[in-house]
Amino acid sequence: MEQIKNDIVDYLKANSFMDNSSSLTDNDSLTQNGIIDSIGLLELMDYICEKYSIEIPEDMLTPENFDSLQGITNMITRLAK
Amino acid sequence: MQIDAYITEYARKTPQNIALEEGKSSISYSCLDNDINATASHLMDFGHCRFAILAESGTQYIKVLMAVYRSANIAIPLPIELPKFSLEKILDAAHVNNIIATDAQYSRFGKEFFERFGTVIVISSDTSGVILRKKIETEKNNPELRLVLYTSGTTGTPKGVMLSDRNLAANAESIIKVLRITSRDKGALVISPHHAFGNSIINSHLTAGGSIRVGNMNFMDPVFNLIGSGVSIFYGVPSTYRILLKYPDRFKRAFANVRIAASAGGGMDRAIVTDIKELAPDLEILPMYGQTEATARLAYLPAEDVDEFVGTIGKAIPGVTLDVFDSNYRSAGFNITGELVATGDNIMLGYLDDEIATEKRIINGWLHTGDLAQKLPNGYIRLLGRKDDLIKIGDHRVNPREIERNIEENNEVSRVFVVPVHHELMGTAISLMVIPAEGTEIEKLFAFCRKSLPGYLCPREILFIDHLPLSENGKISNRSIIEEYQHVKASM
Repeated sequence: MEQIKNDIVDYLKANSFMDNSSSLTDNDSLTQNGIIDSIGLLELMDYICEKYSIEIPEDMLTPENFDSLQGITNMITRLAK
Repeated sequence: MQIDAYITEYARKTPQNIALEEGKSSISYSCLDNDINATASHLMDFGHCRFAILAESGTQYIKVLMAVYRSANIAIPLPIELPKFSLEKILDAAHVNNIIATDAQYSRFGKEFFERFGTVIVISSDTSGVILRKKIETEKNNPELRLVLYTSGTTGTPKGVMLSDRNLAANAESIIKVLRITSRDKGALVISPHHAFGNSIINSHLTAGGSIRVGNMNFMDPVFNLIGSGVSIFYGVPSTYRILLKYPDRFKRAFANVRIAASAGGGMDRAIVTDIKELAPDLEILPMYGQTEATARLAYLPAEDVDEFVGTIGKAIPGVTLDVFDSNYRSAGFNITGELVATGDNIMLGYLDDEIATEKRIINGWLHTGDLAQKLPNGYIRLLGRKDDLIKIGDHRVNPREIERNIEENNEVSRVFVVPVHHELMGTAISLMVIPAEGTEIEKLFAFCRKSLPGYLCPREILFIDHLPLSENGKISNRSIIEEYQHVKASM
């Protein structure tokens, strides 16, 4: 769980606006805080699918599953089972 | 007539009709009118003053915008997708003393950001406003000025396009005619409302007494649900359609009952049109062309001609005259390249506090668009690129020379060149070619771009080169840069 979260944070730092210094809590909104935009989300999704060898059904492309570190981590954990 | 006055009129005639929908909630014309009055009551003692608006896309933004109109003040919506320092640059240029922010944006940008303003009003989700402080100053503004839209503020000097009530109403009327919008239509607003295209959706649907469903493009499941919720007109920039078309099954289901798919903000390419037609054969595809300097729209391509003429911008919208001028400002003949010019009630008053720039763009009443064009014998117009070096990146108009200068001034590099490159979803993204200096580090350059430029300008790759990308006659242009890039890539 923590490992997944760290991977996502590393990805966000390497690919989006997130600074090395900025702190993000697990439930902060990625879109409302300007960390990621719609194109960035699609790229993040491709990264997740490839890294964890999962397929994300289209009805799971929701804010609950994609707008926070916790949501993304939970979703990956659920799908990777 | 002011745009907000239409809302009052519909609040009287059809008070129960839905004006705006967002998520699970909706608001009738009557309630919307009351909410606008409530917010406007905070602004009534200002006399035609500039108000920056810092609000995320949503019903709240539309209410605040209309409240500024109703109080006879001037609205300056801030494009919130830009990083903080770009917004500060816009604020410096706009000489604005007052701001209205949603509480979400107030907490996001923090107290310090707001210290520069004499008046700060924070609006919460239940529309109650808190006046943090209020300082009424006398301002000297163009008496017709109602709205200022910023066209570029990413790097260079931001330009504020000044629009009047007449501009807004005229363009709304033209768009209503082209799209045949009625009070029964529901428009989808999923693109940014802070720019000309999104703003025109608000104006035309509320002027027609119809409704607007507000959302965003962030999450695919809610977007497709929004489209399938009875939307009759969908609006998107080309990249909006590219993103949606990644999910063909959902696209097919969601668009089954949509009447029109309208586009603007960039040229629709044939691939998008073909894919849409295959999935939704009955959907009318309506590409439109415009500029912020023309409020929003200037031309449209009638749906029946999309197949044959998708490479053109079609013809002028009602109320607008388009022509192509040669370098002596004379109307050019068919198939002769010149500059596209336009007149009509939608042409801007000018650029805010910048008479020199205004005089270059509006000459003898004609807006000089900066787009090179040719008239075709059937009356349609074909675009052939820009007169200046502006390019479209992710459907945003940007000046590559300004981006280059910005990166050069803030990093240890010798020279930087912006190359437009193909991107699957955005259409065009950028790569950088860099002549390194001592101490140039690719990672640092990437970090600077991520932090200081909006997402669509983050470079896909950074290549080192050792000489200037000069053309045969010794000049640097977009073309010479692209040619050098192709050469570098071929030899890699």
